[in-house]
Amino acid sequence: MTTGPARGGVADAPPVLDAHGHLGTWPDFLIPDPTAEGLVATMDRIGVTAMGVSHLLAVGPDAETGNRLAREAADRFPGRFGVWQVYNPHHRTPLTRDGVWGVKLHPDVHQCPLDDPRYEPVWRLGLPVLAHGQTDSPWSDPDRFAAVAARHPDVPLLMGHCGLWPYGFDRAARLAAGHPNLYLEVCGSRMTGRWIARLVATAGAQRVVFGSDACFLDLRTGYGRVALAPLSDADRALVQGGNLARVLGPRVLGPRVSGRSVSGPDDSGHPIPGSCTRRDVP
Amino acid sequence: MPFDDLPADPRAEMDRLGIERACVTHALSLYSDPQAGNDALLRLDDPRLVPVPVVVPGVPGASAPSTPAEVLEWGVRLVRLCPERHRFDLTGPVALRWLAELGLPVAIDLDETSPAALRTLAGRLPGLRILVLNPGYRRLRALAELMAEAPGVWAEIGTVNTQRGVEWLAGLFGAGRLVFGTGAPVADDCGPRFLLDHLDLEPADVDLIAAGSLGRLL
Repeated sequence: MTTGPARGGVADAPPVLDAHGHLGTWPDFLIPDPTAEGLVATMDRIGVTAMGVSHLLAVGPDAETGNRLAREAADRFPGRFGVWQVYNPHHRTPLTRDGVWGVKLHPDVHQCPLDDPRYEPVWRLGLPVLAHGQTDSPWSDPDRFAAVAARHPDVPLLMGHCGLWPYGFDRAARLAAGHPNLYLEVCGSRMTGRWIARLVATAGAQRVVFGSDACFLDLRTGYGRVALAPLSDADRALVQGGNLARVLGPRVLGPRVSGRSVSGPDDSGHPIPGSCTRRDVP
Repeated sequence: MPFDDLPADPRAEMDRLGIERACVTHALSLYSDPQAGNDALLRLDDPRLVPVPVVVPGVPGASAPSTPAEVLEWGVRLVRLCPERHRFDLTGPVALRWLAELGLPVAIDLDETSPAALRTLAGRLPGLRILVLNPGYRRLRALAELMAEAPGVWAEIGTVNTQRGVEWLAGLFGAGRLVFGTGAPVADDCGPRFLLDHLDLEPADVDLIAAGSLGRLL
């Protein structure tokens, strides 16, 4: 059986945008291939155009260094990685508006509830935000996403994992349906193709966004759930890239690569000079 | 069961996803009555649905079915054990005696036991073929240690879900010890099916994972 779209970068193929990716290792278990190179090879293998990544070092103990590593990887592969800069509320991580897709929050790792005032610098930034969402977690229950979405209606907020546990998927979808800036991102080892179709039916295809959690999880398994989910072609196009492209606007390929090829690193394999202009936000 | 979307018949999804045959256990065997589930399973009589009944070893009056001989009368090629769910000792004298008498390969969820118990089981019954179901991705190191120590252990890959985890296992132990599976409809079938089509392995190895390894195991 042949499945999946053509390779990434094909002009007439609709974009496949992975909203939720990572680079690096995680202490909890072995990740056989935690590299950017490996991810790009897999993206090419199955036709994923670009992936938003946060470095797992940044999610863990060192957000600033991890964010730098993510940006360096994005520079090595122009147009293939968007950077979700991690904000650690305890460290008040410096933030930037330039050259990134937005901000990644992990309330459970950082043990800071999503609606805590310590995240105010993130909402003031005004960029899209991807946050880990976990049903019944004291830090990231979907209720907290609904509260923040209501408080900051101009901030696109992606509920990572759609609540994580299957018993919470339906509630997460109903909560999202009431907040136009709240999106359901579908990565996670408990998600299924059937559930993705149900989320679309409950919240609307415009509100469901593909994510894989690669390299934490296998990109192919994550994308396969969307590629083979029982969805119409139009709904699948929205979920696998159309919605995120709309949310990101011109950021989707990164301001530094507008008009450039998006097929891989430049000829030298080095970052493009002057491509990374940071503007720190307190 | 905390699900409201389980298809009563898996064959439509198998058709849609290009899955020709599937080893199946009846939900009743897992979630209610092993015997009633096995009876329902064995009545299916469809060559596309390969029956994998549940066996609960035990002393007289505490087993399902009542003797190993009854299992052999079923004529099945694989049985499933749930030592945690059905509360029996996988490496105790009764289970070891039953499994030695059966001589059939067994499928066991890793969550139903432990790598240590499976190593003990493999050591006590060296000829036993063990298919580890749902090993997950967080215990790759322990799974690899088990497979290295016990050559009669196969792994089902539906939940081996970290980046290139399947290729890592194939590189260590060969594709001949990896078996395609999904856990559907409780678990996802779309992701593992897509992964199978896009493994970074030689076609012959993918064929082994898709069907050949299971054929050898059975």
